[in-house]
Amino acid sequence: MPPGSGHHEAVTSESIATGENAVTGVGTAENAGGTAAAGQAAGAQATAGQATAGQATGAQATGGQATGGQATAGQATGAPAPGRAGAKTGPGSSAGGRRALSGWLRWAWRQLTSMRTALVLLFLLAVASVPGSVIPQQGIDPAAVAVYYTSHPALAPIMARLSLFNVFAAPWFAAIYLLLFLSLAGCVLPRTFRLVGSARQLPPRAPRNLARLPLAASYRTALTPAEALESAARLLSGKRFRLRTSDGWVAAEKGYLREVGNLLFHIALLALLGSVAIGGIFGYKADRLLVSGQSFGDTVTALDQFRPGRLVTPQDLAPFSIRLDNFTAHYITSGSLRGEPSSFDAFIRYSGRPGAPMRAYVLRVNHPLEVDGVRVYLIGHGYAPVFRITDGAGRVVFDSPVPFIPVEQSGLTSEGVIKVPDADPDQLGFAGVFLPTAVDVNGRLQSAFPAALLPRVSLVSYAGNLGLNDGQPQSVYELDPAHLRRLPIAPRPLAPGQSMKLPDNAGTLAFTGYRQWASLAITYDPGQLPALISGILAIAGLLLSFAVRRRRVFVRAAAGPDGATVVHLGGLARSDAVGGFEAEFASLAGEITESHGGSRLTGTAGRPEDQQAGLDAAAAFDDQVSSARNDREPSLGNDEGE
Amino acid sequence: MPVNSGLAQLSENLLLFTIVVYALAMLAYACDFAFGRQRISEPAPAKVPELVGARAVAGTAEKAATGAAGGMPRSPAEGSDAGPPVARFAGSTSERPGFWVRTALVLTVIGLAAHIAGILTRGLSEHRVPWGNMYEFVTAITCMAVIVLVAISLRYKAYYIGLFVLLPVVVALGVAVTVIYTPAGSLVPALQSYWIAIHVTAMIIATGLYIVGAVTTTMYLAADRHERRVAAGLPSRTAGIMLHLPRPLVLDRLSYRTILFAFPVWTFGIMAGAIWADQAWGRYWGWDPKETWSFITWVVYAGFLHARATAGWRGRKAAYIQLVGFSCLMFNLIGINLWVTGLHSYAGLG
Repeated sequence: MPPGSGHHEAVTSESIATGENAVTGVGTAENAGGTAAAGQAAGAQATAGQATAGQATGAQATGGQATGGQATAGQATGAPAPGRAGAKTGPGSSAGGRRALSGWLRWAWRQLTSMRTALVLLFLLAVASVPGSVIPQQGIDPAAVAVYYTSHPALAPIMARLSLFNVFAAPWFAAIYLLLFLSLAGCVLPRTFRLVGSARQLPPRAPRNLARLPLAASYRTALTPAEALESAARLLSGKRFRLRTSDGWVAAEKGYLREVGNLLFHIALLALLGSVAIGGIFGYKADRLLVSGQSFGDTVTALDQFRPGRLVTPQDLAPFSIRLDNFTAHYITSGSLRGEPSSFDAFIRYSGRPGAPMRAYVLRVNHPLEVDGVRVYLIGHGYAPVFRITDGAGRVVFDSPVPFIPVEQSGLTSEGVIKVPDADPDQLGFAGVFLPTAVDVNGRLQSAFPAALLPRVSLVSYAGNLGLNDGQPQSVYELDPAHLRRLPIAPRPLAPGQSMKLPDNAGTLAFTGYRQWASLAITYDPGQLPALISGILAIAGLLLSFAVRRRRVFVRAAAGPDGATVVHLGGLARSDAVGGFEAEFASLAGEITESHGGSRLTGTAGRPEDQQAGLDAAAAFDDQVSSARNDREPSLGNDEGE
Repeated sequence: MPVNSGLAQLSENLLLFTIVVYALAMLAYACDFAFGRQRISEPAPAKVPELVGARAVAGTAEKAATGAAGGMPRSPAEGSDAGPPVARFAGSTSERPGFWVRTALVLTVIGLAAHIAGILTRGLSEHRVPWGNMYEFVTAITCMAVIVLVAISLRYKAYYIGLFVLLPVVVALGVAVTVIYTPAGSLVPALQSYWIAIHVTAMIIATGLYIVGAVTTTMYLAADRHERRVAAGLPSRTAGIMLHLPRPLVLDRLSYRTILFAFPVWTFGIMAGAIWADQAWGRYWGWDPKETWSFITWVVYAGFLHARATAGWRGRKAAYIQLVGFSCLMFNLIGINLWVTGLHSYAGLG
C-alpha cells in the first residue's frame, strides 16, 4: 500500500487526476521513515493542485527531513516550509536538535494525516468499541459490573484498571478518537482551502483525441469551427459548466459540489464530536424516584443522583417542581405476550418555577416533559408498599410508602428495606420482597404477573442499631447488618391490611397497602441541538458527495477534409459511482448537435438498456483515473498504449 | 385493539408461499446457469483487467465510428475481447434474457408480491408497523433484499446475482418462520412511537442493500480468484459458473453501488435512532450494545468506502473490509439480539 497517497484526497478520487496540475504521486516509498524514502512520501503527500506546498515538500526529497527549523505541526499541513536540499540531517540525526525535532514533527504529522493512518484509526475505533458491548459497563449497568466483581474477583480489579468497565470514557478510547479527529482535521482543513483555490482555477485543457474519452461523439456541421465552438460554449455555460476556451477547443467542468459535500460531511463529524463535548461540559443528568403523591423540587438535595457536566454547578439547575399524582401500568393479560407491558402513564403536575401555577401532564415512555430547556423522562416504575410501624412503647414511629426495586420484569418481584431509626427501645429494620401477584410454586412464593392482582409482602425483621449515625453514607435500599440481630419470627406473606407482631415486645408492623412509584430522568444537554444540526449536515454532505459527480465535457472543432466542420465531443466523469453521466452526456451531445444542425457521425450514448456497457464504461473510467494517478503528467486517453 | 387472527394466519401462509416461490426461482436461475447462454466473451487476461474495460468502451464506440469521416481509425480487434458487443451510441442490440432467466424473474416477482402481501397483512393484523420483533425484522430485511435484487435485475440486467441473493433470503426466511417465529401481538411501550416507522424502516432498507452488497462482493472475490487462477494457468473449479458471470470489475462496481446507497441510509437510520433514544431514554447516545454495534458497523463500512477509493486498498482488500462490516451487521442482528441484554431487547425470544 502506498503510504504517501494523500489522506482524503483518495476518498473521493478528487485528487485532480486528469488535470494538467495533477501531481498525485503514488508513493513508492516504503514507510521506513528514512531520509530519502520519507522525502519521497512527502512528495507524494503534496497533492494535486497545491503547487506551493508540493514544491516545498518535493524539495525535501533529496535532503530528507531537513526543514526550516521552526516548522510546527500547523505549518506542516500546507504552508510551504523552506526546504533545504543541502541539509543532510535526517530526522534522527543529532545535528541541530530543533531541526530534527521539527523534522520528526512534520513526519509524524504527515503520518497522522495520511489515509492509511486514518483507516487504521477507524478500525481501531471499531475494535475498541467491542469490549464496551460485551463487558458490563459501569455507566449502563452498574449491577452487572458488581456481579462481575463477585464472579471474577481476581480479574475484575485488573480490568477496572484498564477501564474495561468504562470503555467509552477510557483514556485509550479517547486517544483513538481524538487522534482520528485530529487526523481528520489535519486533512479536511487544508483541503477546504484548496477547494476555495480550485474554484478559481480553470478547467484543464482539452485532450487532443476526444474519441478516446469514455464518452465521445462527433458530427459534421455547416458552421465554421469558431462558430460551432462558440455556440457549444454558450450552451455549456448555460448549464453552469465552468469554461475554458482556446483556439480549436472548449473545456468545461462541473460538479465542484462533490468536494463541498465531502468536506461538509467530515467537518460535520468534527462538529458532532464538539457537540458531544458541549453536552459533557455544560449538561447534566439526574434521577429521581417519585412515589405517587410525592413531589420534589429540582435541587441537588432532592435528587437521588446528580451527574453534572464539568462546568455545571448546583445553581444551574432549573427551578421546576414536579408532583406525581398517580401512576398506572397496563399489561397484556393473555396470549404469548402475557405479562408484557402495554402502557405506562405517569400523571404529573409541574410548575416551571416556585409560585408558578401547576400544570398537568401525562408523562409516558417516548413522551417526555420539557420544562425550561430541561427534559424529564419516565424511565422506570415499581411498587412502594406502605407500612405503619408501632414500636414497643406503643408509638407510631413509621407510616409511609417504601419504594421496592424490581429484581425481575416478568412478575415485577421487588426487593426493599425498611429502616425505623425512631423505634424504642431498639431501632428496627426489615428486609423483604413485594410480590404483585403472589403464587406458591412448590413452597416458594413467586410473582406470576406484574400487575398487583394479589399483592403480598414478606419480611425478615431485625432489631438493634441501624448504624445511621456513624457518619458513613448508607444506601436506602440496603441494611447494614453489623449491629442488628435478627428477630425470631419467621417471614410470612402479609396481605394488605394484615400486620405482624414482633417478638420481644419490639412492636408491630402493619402492611396497610401499596402505591406505585415512577423513576424520572432529568437531563439537560445543550449539545443536543448542535449534534442534531451536525448530523443533518453530515447526511447532506454524504448525499452530495455521493450523488454529485465532477465531470468534464470537451469540444473540439476543426475543418474536415471535405470542407465541412467536424466537431468532436468528449465526456469524462470522475468517480461516477452512482452512474447517470452517460445520459447527461447523451442529452448534452444531442442538444449541441441539434443546435448546430449537425449530422451525426457517431451517436450519443445513454440508452438506458445499455447498463452493462455503462458499468464497463464506469469501470473503465475508474481505471483510467487510477492509472492516470500513476503518471506525473496524465494525459487523457493517450496513455493507452498507442 | 386485539390482533386480527385471520389476517395473522393469512400472513403466515403468504410467507410460506413466498419461500416456495423463491426456491423455485432459485431453481430457474440455476437452470439458466446450467442450460442458458454463457457470457459472450471469455474472461479477459487478468493481468491487465483495467485496460479491458477501457478498451471495451473505446472499442465499442470506435466500432460505430469506424469508417466515418473524422473518426479515428483504429483496429476493431481492440474491442473484440471484452463485453457484449453492445453499440453504445447508435441503435443498440439490447440483450434479451433467456427463457430460464425470464422464468426466474417472473417467479421472483411473484414471490416478492406474496412477500410484501405477507408483511402488509401482518401489520394490518396487529394494527401497527410490522417490525416490532426479530421475526418481523428478518421478514422485512429479506423482502428489502429481494426488492434490491429485482431493481438491479431490471435496471442493470444483472440477472446473474439472482441465485446468490435468493439463497440467503430463502435460508433466512426459513429460519424466520421456524426458529424465531413470534406470534402477532402489540408493541411494548418503549416501541410505541412513530419513530419506529422512521428508524427501523431506514435500518431495514440499509440492511437489505447491505445484504445484496455482501452477496455481490463475495461473487466478486470468487470471480477475481477464478480469473487470477486462470491467468496463472491454474485449474479453477468454479469455471462452470464463472462463464456466466461478468468480469470481476463489474461485480465489484455493482457491490460498491449498493453500499453507496446503503451507507447514507444507515447513517440516517442511526441518527433517527439517536433522536428516538433521546425521546425515549433521555439521551441520544448511550453505548447500549445495539448502538455500539451499529456504530461499529458504520465505522467499518466507512472504512470500506475510504479503502475503496484509496490506491492500494481497492479490490480484494476493500472487499474483505466490506465483508467484515457485514459480519458486524449480522452480529448486531443475531448475536446482540440473542446473547446480550440491553435497551434494544425486543427480539421477542425470551
